Formats: sequence, C-alpha cells, structure tokens
Amino acid sequence: MKALLKKLIRRPAAADQTEIIVEGARKATGGKARNRVVMTMAVFLAIYGAIAGRLVYLGMQEPADSGPPGSRVTASRPDIVDRNGEVLATDIKTASLFAEPRRIVDADEATERLANVLPDLDYEQTYRKLKSGTGFVWLKRQLTPKQQNEIMALGIPGIGFRTENRRFYPGGETAAHIVGLVNVDNQGIAGMEKYIDDQGLADLQASGLADAKELQPVKLSIDLRVQYILRDEIAAAIQRYNAIAAGAVVLSIKTGEVLAMASVPDFDPNNPYNAQDKDRLNRMSAGLYEMGSTFKSFTTGMALDSGKVTLESRFDASRPIRIGRQTINDFHGKGRVLTVPEVFIYSSNIGSAREAETVGIEGHREFLHRLGILERMQTELPEVAKPTEPKVWKQVHSITIAFGHGVSTTPLQTAVGCAALMSGLLIEPTFLPRTADEAMTSAKRVVSDYTVAGMRYLYRLNAEKGSGKRAQVPGYRVGGKTGTAEKVVNGRYSNDKRFNAFVAAFPMDDPQYIVLSIIDEPKPEKPGMGATAGSNAAVIVANIIRRSASMLGVKPDFGHENEPILVSYP
Amino acid sequence: MFRTSDMVLIAVMVSAAAFTYNTKHRAEDKLAEIRKIEAEIRYEQDSIDLLKADWSLLTQPSRLQKLTDIYEAELKLQPVEASQIGAIEDLPVKPVEIEDFSTQRLGGMADNAKDHTVTGAVLQ
Repeated sequence: MKALLKKLIRRPAAADQTEIIVEGARKATGGKARNRVVMTMAVFLAIYGAIAGRLVYLGMQEPADSGPPGSRVTASRPDIVDRNGEVLATDIKTASLFAEPRRIVDADEATERLANVLPDLDYEQTYRKLKSGTGFVWLKRQLTPKQQNEIMALGIPGIGFRTENRRFYPGGETAAHIVGLVNVDNQGIAGMEKYIDDQGLADLQASGLADAKELQPVKLSIDLRVQYILRDEIAAAIQRYNAIAAGAVVLSIKTGEVLAMASVPDFDPNNPYNAQDKDRLNRMSAGLYEMGSTFKSFTTGMALDSGKVTLESRFDASRPIRIGRQTINDFHGKGRVLTVPEVFIYSSNIGSAREAETVGIEGHREFLHRLGILERMQTELPEVAKPTEPKVWKQVHSITIAFGHGVSTTPLQTAVGCAALMSGLLIEPTFLPRTADEAMTSAKRVVSDYTVAGMRYLYRLNAEKGSGKRAQVPGYRVGGKTGTAEKVVNGRYSNDKRFNAFVAAFPMDDPQYIVLSIIDEPKPEKPGMGATAGSNAAVIVANIIRRSASMLGVKPDFGHENEPILVSYP
Repeated sequence: MFRTSDMVLIAVMVSAAAFTYNTKHRAEDKLAEIRKIEAEIRYEQDSIDLLKADWSLLTQPSRLQKLTDIYEAELKLQPVEASQIGAIEDLPVKPVEIEDFSTQRLGGMADNAKDHTVTGAVLQ
C-alpha cells in the first residue's frame, strides 16, 4: 500500500535538468508512468463499476411493500349555496391516518402518544396493528385538521396521512332531491350536482384545471328556510295521514324559480345507501301521476280562454254522462244545472266534461300542450319524466282528461301550468336564480287576461266556499283547487286508494307563489274523518304558507278577508 | 512561491465561495420558511372550509327547530302569527293633542315670565 501511495505521489518539482531528461527517456519506453495510468484507470473503473453494479441491483429489486393504497384523485367541486348564500353542499378535506408497522420503532410508545391525541382510539387493537410488521394499516379515517396537526406534532416515525376531498351536505336530506349526489370520485350523478358537471365542470376536471379556490359557488334558487319548512311539513303529513309518499313545491309565479321542492321518502346524501331505491325517487319532477281534479283548473281555464264560455255560462250536470261502457258521475253531485264557478267549487266531473265538450277534442289537446303539461319539461334537474297521453284523442279521452284522468304528468309541471293560469305567461321552471325581467324574455303568453282574472276569482272562491276551505291562512289570501284522484290498481280505479293533490296560489290579489302538494294513499287522520284532498293535501299547503309566507316576502293583509271580488276586463 | 496577486485571487475566490454558500444557505432557509407558511396557509384554509361546514351544520333550520322545541317552555317561545307582522306605514298616525288655552288671558303666554324687551310704548 505504501509503495502504491509513493508511486501515486508526484515527485517534487525541484530537480536538475539531467533527471528530467532521464525521466523523459523512461516515459518514452513506458516505465513507471504507465504503471500509474493503469493504476488510476483501475481505481476509477472499480469505483464506477461498483456504482453501476449497485444501480443494477437496486433496479432489479422490488420496492418494499409499503405505503397507502393507490391514491384516488378526488376532484374539487364548487360549493352549492341557496339563494341567501347558505351552504347546501361543500367539499371538506379529511385526513386519514395510516401507519407502516415495519418502520415503527417503538409500537408501545407510538400507541401511547397517539392515544393522547385520539382518546377514542382502541388501545389494544392499535398496538397489535403496529406490532404486526405488515407494510400498511389504516389507523383512523377522517380526522379533523386539528387532530391531524397534533399527531404531526408528535413526530412519530412510520405514520402518515392521506387527505381526501369529501362532499358534505350540511342539510342532510332537507334538499336531497334538488342538490343531488356525487359518486366516490366526486363526480355528480344526480340532481344539480350532475347538472353542474354537464355544464363543463367535468371537462374542467378532466383537464386538471378545476382548482378548488377558483371555482365560484353555484347559487340555486332554493331558499333553505322554506325548503326545510316544506320538507318538515310533508314528512309530518306522511306520519299524520299514514301515507306512502308525499311531496310539495313552492314556485315563484313571476320568475319561474323553484323556491323549495321536496318529496318524501328521500335519502341522506351524506350516506346515500338507499338513494337508488324505487320509492325514493323525486316524485315532484320524475313521478308521473293522474293529477285528478286539479286538472279542472286547466279545463276551466281552457273553456274561458276559448271565448265560448264565460263565468256566467251554465252546464247541465243533472244527469251522469254515459259514453261507451263508462259512466261519468259527480262525487259531490248537485243534480242540477251549474254555473262555471259552481262547476269549479263543487268539483263537478260532469260539468268539466261538458266544458271540454264545448271546446272540442283538438282544442283540448292543443291547450294542454300550450301550457306545457304534456311536454317533457325543460329544466336543470336531470330527473324529469315525460308525461303520457293517449296516442289518439277520442271523445272519451277528452271527457276523462277534463277531470284529470287518462293523462299522467309530473306535479312540478302541473304547478308550472297553474302559474301560467295565474299570470297568463308560461315560464319554464328553474332551479337557478332568475329575476322577473330575465324571466320575461323567455315567457310565452298562453292565456288571455280575461282567463287570468277569471281563474284568480275561481281559486279564491274555491278556498272560501269550496273544497279548499282548509287551505285558508289568515292574512295571506290563499286560493286553490283540490284534486282527489282514484289510483289505478290492477287496471281498475280503486275506491279506497287515492292520490291527492292541492294546488294553491297566494296572495290572490296579485299571485306571487304557487304551492302544490301531493300525498299518495293518505288514510283518514282519525277514524270517521275524510281522506280527500281537502282534508290532507290542503292542510299541508296551508301549513307551508303559514310558516313560510313571511320569509317569501309576502306581507299579511287583513283588509281582504271578505268576499272575493270579480274583476272583469272589457 | 506565492505572489501577492495569487494571495489576493485566492482570498477573492474563497470569499466568493463563502458568499455563494451563504446566499444559497439563506435562500434554502427562506424556501423552507415559505414551504412552512404555505403549509400553514393550507391548514388554515382547510380549517376555514371545515368551520364553514360546521357553521352551516349548526345553523341548519332543522337543528334550530329542535332547539326551539327544547327551550320552548323555558324561554316562552311562540310562533309568529301573521297578525303580528306589519310595516311602519301601517301604524296609525299619533293623534295630535291640543291643549285648551282659551280660559287664560292671552292664552296664558304672558304669565310665564317678565318680558325683558322694553319698547317705547311701555311706561318707564
């Protein structure tokens, strides 16, 4: 070794001329210097060889089996807020604690220190997990940032966190059907969540541009307070009337905005294990029903709008109508000639059929299409059902459709159609905020002012004297129409299974809102009481209006608690 | 033999190396600091998100309803009736009360105090 070093050490520069010559001669013959070069090359070769060998060795080896399972890329989504900025859906980051037991130095100490931060940690189980010597174990899912920070401060080697975006719905089931759902990858699969994705968010996420901070919250037209009241009332109604389902909607007549809409039974979007169940669908927009007598609003509106009928016209309802094998009878039969208001408030099937007859089959069909009752509704929610109607309309169809049997439509569309009768303008419903001016640009005039005035009068009259008495709310001038439809069981109309609805508008001097409620198969509240729409669906509407009118900005007025006044236009 | 210029150059080189090292070290320190602050900002932002979610959970109408039901008796809470809602304009104007001065001389106005203003018509 010493000899080698000596050879490597350079000779001192101070030397006489002769030696230099001698050395030069030696170099020429390849003496000591050659040795040195070879030696240097060998050393470097050895070093690089070792490095290369090590690289190959490391390259061939399988990486140690550790670390959390492959990360799921959970995309950021914008918050969803209601019209007042209350959060309906938001992303929260949750951290989950994992450990790599192989790298844990002292399992005893680690467990003890973790237990200080997480008091509810199972001590024994955690200790066993940390001792197991496996590559990876979950210790605790979904910690708060505070807990995460405290654990980080402990500085235990061999533990780590995995953060994940999780969609959180503070309201739970309150607005479940409107807000919708996301899947495990944070992609919208139902309701407005799906609508937001379809508007380009999905593309944004795919290109990696969806940055959580730059996404503006999506504002809906929903008012969380009204939404809660509405859902609370229908949930209570299901209990009270022992029904199988109920639903309601509050719709702004002037703007077409849906202020609140719910259908129970529903689901908790934070834990949507049952969201796909058949009976939990959104009945208001995705359920098709024969709306029953609420359809008489359209029949009467159509008759008035045709110009062939005025409020003073009379129809003979003294005898049942026989057509083919069917007999059309009245539920509250008066057995005499009825005026148009009487047909409406006594909910006369015969009278409504006569009204439809006056207009004719083609006119009837055209009117319902004009109001959008039989079209597929255009709105943001993806869950929308297409109404059904007879392929070919015959006389019998027109007669039954006059009192709401023979066509199925969604309750939301019925509400939109009634809003058109109250204002004369058909405005597509929306779940996004819209001003009255914006609504006017897409509004279509569908009925005349005379029809509007007449329908307002009839609604008010029906709530004061007719079947909608129980929908009255002092101060808020409610008007409306009941609908008690018999359900089809095994192809026949059943006598004891009903589908009830009530459509109301308020305040009637200048209608602002439509409130429509439905209840499926209600039973009498107490034995001996009725189970028609007037005694359940109307009560739901009254409760919703009583509790929410002040939030909807409707001022109570007790000056109008008198006879309805018929306003007529020349 | 080292010449003076060598010495100077070596000194310059060493000090330049020292300066570079120092700058790099300080830059690394700053970067570490930035990373730490960024982590803190992220933590705060996440906390804000969580607190917002918490706040909306605490102000849910369903929760407030439960609370009012619980404290209804204790706080004597009652639902607002429509008749209790009104605007300022709905209030009747406060009736104006006019005192009857007619029984007193000069409406009683001259009796209150001595008039300090002296005019020529008043006898000295």
